[in-house]
Amino acid sequence: MKIFNLKVLAPVGALIIVASTSLAFAHGGATGIVKERMDLMASVGKSMKTITEMFQGEKPYDAAIVRQAASFIGNHGGEQMTRLFPEGSIQGPSESLPAIWQNWQRFSELADDLTKYAGALAAAADNPRGPGMGSGMNQGRQGGLGASPMGRRNPMMGQSADGMPMNDPAALAQMSPNAAFARVTQTCSACHTQFRKKQ
Amino acid sequence: MRNIYLVAAAVIVAVTVGAAATIFRGNPVPENVVATLEGDPDRGAYFARLAGCIACHTNESGGGDLLAGGPPLKTPFGTFYGPNITPDPATGLGAWSLNDFARALRHGISPEGEPYYPAFPYTFYSKFTDQDIADLWAAMKTVPNADTPSKPQDLKFPFDQRWALRGWQNLFFDSETFQDDPTRSESWNRGKYIVTGPAHCGACHTPRNPLGASDAELALHGAGGLPGGERSPPITPSVLGERGWTENNLAFGLRFGTKPNGDVLGGSMGEVIRDGTSWLFDEDLRAIAHYLLNNDDTE
Repeated sequence: MKIFNLKVLAPVGALIIVASTSLAFAHGGATGIVKERMDLMASVGKSMKTITEMFQGEKPYDAAIVRQAASFIGNHGGEQMTRLFPEGSIQGPSESLPAIWQNWQRFSELADDLTKYAGALAAAADNPRGPGMGSGMNQGRQGGLGASPMGRRNPMMGQSADGMPMNDPAALAQMSPNAAFARVTQTCSACHTQFRKKQ
Repeated sequence: MRNIYLVAAAVIVAVTVGAAATIFRGNPVPENVVATLEGDPDRGAYFARLAGCIACHTNESGGGDLLAGGPPLKTPFGTFYGPNITPDPATGLGAWSLNDFARALRHGISPEGEPYYPAFPYTFYSKFTDQDIADLWAAMKTVPNADTPSKPQDLKFPFDQRWALRGWQNLFFDSETFQDDPTRSESWNRGKYIVTGPAHCGACHTPRNPLGASDAELALHGAGGLPGGERSPPITPSVLGERGWTENNLAFGLRFGTKPNGDVLGGSMGEVIRDGTSWLFDEDLRAIAHYLLNNDDTE
């Protein structure tokens, strides 16, 4: 019997390789959480780019692609997002601001909003597009200074500028894709305004 | 170090010119907005979005009332606080006339004849039309009174010498009305009016000299040293083009905050979009994009 039986050694070798690479991954994950979330943000950005081009009217609207991209984004909000931000992880090329941990509740809310609204967009992808840019509805959002001061001044009221309730999934799924898309971009922008380093 | 000498020299010049101006020019700047102009509060509220009044005069994150005074604006000159501009007669603008309001906006002079710091962007607001001012005034009157006293400006010497501002105004400020360029499209002219007037894009996107005056040669070329240590990117036609902006995606981005590469605009531009441009009509957003990209020739 040969000691170096290839049939035995091959799986062992493979095991060693697998073990060492996963070790390397684990190690990279521990120190490279910043890289991990920057990679995630890049993929989310890629999905955003795809659907933004459709909402901008630069590519034809394809509900299946919108659904797919929005689901991807939604799956990476909430806990999946916040777990990538352990306290104080702003080393290296990170663009995160310490404000994240000073205002963790707001940060988590926005991460949850991302999942909620991207989920709404996925659910609403087949609905009629609704008013919005490129739809022929030439409307600015109106709000008198005194009557409805600042429109979105108090997002805690459970209502937003367009008067849609903010928490009922069934109602969210009835939104027009345009309205849901606006919620997604507002969420991205709100978080990047408050918690990303100024560029 | 050189910068300090430059500032010192400029301050001396400003002070001298200021003193001379006070002697030779006297105080009051006449304003004569036709009193019969009917202001439309809805148009005025829209115009307030264009002009960004709310952001500097409302301390939203501090829970302040609408237009009852702004959050601290930290600059290299010190910290500015947008005052209470509610109709409250004691703490706000309740005692002002329409002409007082017009003089403040277009000439940077208070009803008492005091010059304002250019943190209040009257160097841009000077382009407001009579009708804009009447509309804005009508909208201001719909705002609930708030008795919050305005915070005093907290500036470093020598910038705390407010009287020297008269010299600054003489050196760096001409109250110019906006003129349409008849060789350009309506959209280009509307865009230019918004960008160089109410939206005061250059307040952040044009570099300033050591005394805080915009450098006209470098208009919209991007600037550093902004409040909070921010840098603004250039928004000239060539740079916008290089970075993938088109009239369509720029107008869209001013509504939704999206960038051509799938990223979103954050930082203080995120606030500008949230409180300002996302509220505008499509045609105004397109006009802004059209002007910024200087797209007239391609039509």
